[in-house]
Amino acid sequence: MQPVTAVADDTDPIVVRDPHYGEVLFYFYQNDYFPAIVRLLAAQEQSQLSEHTEQAELLLGGMYLSYGHHLAAADIFERLLADKVSPEIRDRTWFFLAKIWKQRGYLDKSQEALTNLSDTLPDNLWREAQMLQAQIYIDSAQYDRAIALLQAWEGKTEWASYAKFNLGVALVRSGQVDAASGILDELGSIDPFNEELTSLRDRANLALGYSLLQDGQPLAAKRPLQRVRLNGPFSNKALLGVGWADAEVENFSRALVPWMELRGRDLLDPAVQESMLAIPYALGKLDSISQAADHYLNAIEAFYEESNRIDRTIGFIESGEVFNQFLSDDPMDSTGWYWRLEELPQGPEARYLYHLLATDEFQEGLKNYRDLNYLNNNLENWQQNVDVYANMLETRIEAYAERLPRVEDALARADLDGMVDRKLELDSLLNEIERSNDWLALANESEVEMWSEISEIGSAPALAADIPEAAEVRDKIGLLKGVLQWQLESDFNDRLWRLRRNVGQTGEALVDTQRLRRQIDDTMRTEPLRFEELSNRVYGLEPRIDGMQLRVSNAMADQREFLQSIAVGELQAQKQRLDIYTVQARFALAAIYDVATTEAEASP
Amino acid sequence: MDADSAAPSAYDSDADSREKFRSLDENVQNLKKEVLDLNRDLFLLEEELLFPANSQVAFFISMDVGEYFELDSVNLKIDGKEVSNYLYTEREVGALVRGGVHRVHMANLKTGDHELIAVFTGGGPHTRDYRRGATLMFKKGIGAKYLELEITDRVKKQQPEFVIKEWE
Repeated sequence: MQPVTAVADDTDPIVVRDPHYGEVLFYFYQNDYFPAIVRLLAAQEQSQLSEHTEQAELLLGGMYLSYGHHLAAADIFERLLADKVSPEIRDRTWFFLAKIWKQRGYLDKSQEALTNLSDTLPDNLWREAQMLQAQIYIDSAQYDRAIALLQAWEGKTEWASYAKFNLGVALVRSGQVDAASGILDELGSIDPFNEELTSLRDRANLALGYSLLQDGQPLAAKRPLQRVRLNGPFSNKALLGVGWADAEVENFSRALVPWMELRGRDLLDPAVQESMLAIPYALGKLDSISQAADHYLNAIEAFYEESNRIDRTIGFIESGEVFNQFLSDDPMDSTGWYWRLEELPQGPEARYLYHLLATDEFQEGLKNYRDLNYLNNNLENWQQNVDVYANMLETRIEAYAERLPRVEDALARADLDGMVDRKLELDSLLNEIERSNDWLALANESEVEMWSEISEIGSAPALAADIPEAAEVRDKIGLLKGVLQWQLESDFNDRLWRLRRNVGQTGEALVDTQRLRRQIDDTMRTEPLRFEELSNRVYGLEPRIDGMQLRVSNAMADQREFLQSIAVGELQAQKQRLDIYTVQARFALAAIYDVATTEAEASP
Repeated sequence: MDADSAAPSAYDSDADSREKFRSLDENVQNLKKEVLDLNRDLFLLEEELLFPANSQVAFFISMDVGEYFELDSVNLKIDGKEVSNYLYTEREVGALVRGGVHRVHMANLKTGDHELIAVFTGGGPHTRDYRRGATLMFKKGIGAKYLELEITDRVKKQQPEFVIKEWE
């Protein structure tokens, strides 16, 4: 189970009511926590998640946790968990916080998180939480508390076996060896059904065997040590112990059997190194002095070569190159809390660092190193982008400055107010025409022309004559005028309506144009401010990126140095052990030569 | 279950080393926070710079159920011009099926009427290749506009359906 699912329960389908929330989920469901978090933060900043406010906050906490940003996650949970989420979610969240904090060595915080748990965790998580609690007690030397907790352990799952082992460890550390023996013996005799339990059984037998050896019970120690698998991570130490159990009872020839078996194994293992001294020691006890001397010489030679190899490896590690091999092939591949380095890169140094992988400190340190590298690459990308944005912005500012005079000129020429006045004049003119029923005012050009022509003909002096021809023309003219007037009068309403409609449309267009004009005015007023604001942001972000890059690269150097110090410390401890063994071998060899010389001198 | 986490390691660090690790880790935590905040600011700046709010249009792809359609790609045309041809990975389709929404394209458009044509390609019912288009005339106003192209199941016909939703 992943921490984020503790808070973002995906069994219920999510109804997305803000597309931006859905976008966050798109990245989240692909485990791309970094871009998901960035989008969520951006959407929150722009108030785009109004439909998912609390959900988003909880999801953010879960994603922070999965991304390994545990302190920020805790901030959110401490705010939200009090009363806004169900006890089940609250407990699961505290559980994952406790686990991540324990891994990262924040024992006080891990303890706090465990204290916050109520009783709603599912069984498997509850047991794991109890085990975390016991480990915290053991790590902080509160053995009595650890013992009380572990002794009260109920159930028969695999966790019960781990509880027993830790109980044994707590009892041994608190000096109760006898009580521990019974527990470890019981655990060392289980019939394991998987690799983990087999490994746990080996560890219990090894711990019991060595505690009995130290307690002066070599015969009793043999049984648990012989229960350890012959090939496994604890077999070398067990074989060495079996040899010492025999040697303690002066059975050196039997002791040689497991020690000789160790001779062909990896010299890096301290048990194998020790066996190279134990073998000649036993041979010496069996009076095979010359063989013993040969073995001591071999051991000195082997230790010397190994010590040289360690020196070269230390040099390589101190060069810092080795840690770049731990970085992902994909520079923008984010790490997150789940990442673990499973395999060391190929190289002569790998075998020396192999068991460092088992330690939380090294693994968590590597995670941080990889995370920092991701941040560094992320900042580098932004640095390039921001340069582009700065150029783009400059170009826009220049283009705006170039266009502005042309726009201003065009705006000055467009007499919008005059057009509005003309529209208003037209309105009142039409009102007047309607009021006075001035049908002739709405006549078109040809009609006006025709009306004028008819009127002109009608007023000709010749037509005033009192003759029948003139009277006939006058009648015709009167008829023509009457027809034209009748047409104009009957079309009057229709024409007036059309004109009013056209003037109305013109008015609407004028209103739109005025709105546009206001927008242009607004833009002309705000655009320089917007440019200034954007410029400030672009140019303000550049130094922020630079500063951040510097801090990230310093943090990478610190982290690398820390990892180096762990790795080099480990190697130096190995080298120191080899040096001590070499001195012991030389002393033993010198003693053999002394005895041989004394014997040679004593013989006639 | 992790054996190493269940039992104290032989390489348990001492208190000094733990303290050192914690101090480095706290520094990394702070840096993560600051870089995330910086990324948020840069993300917003990038969006404002490239797609100012008054011309911004964002196109999202989402899926509701998706039993009758297995998405391969989406092709978008705005006003007759191809603007995006996005090929989906299996991981991305998985994220869509679970409720994720993908911002497939951002554009700057003038206010007024526009036409969107989306063509979805993928596997249809009975594993047949499927290609379907959806068209929408939309009006771009002054503010930012979001269009969601949703793939849903039409259960009665056992066919996928492609719906375009407008968000303001």
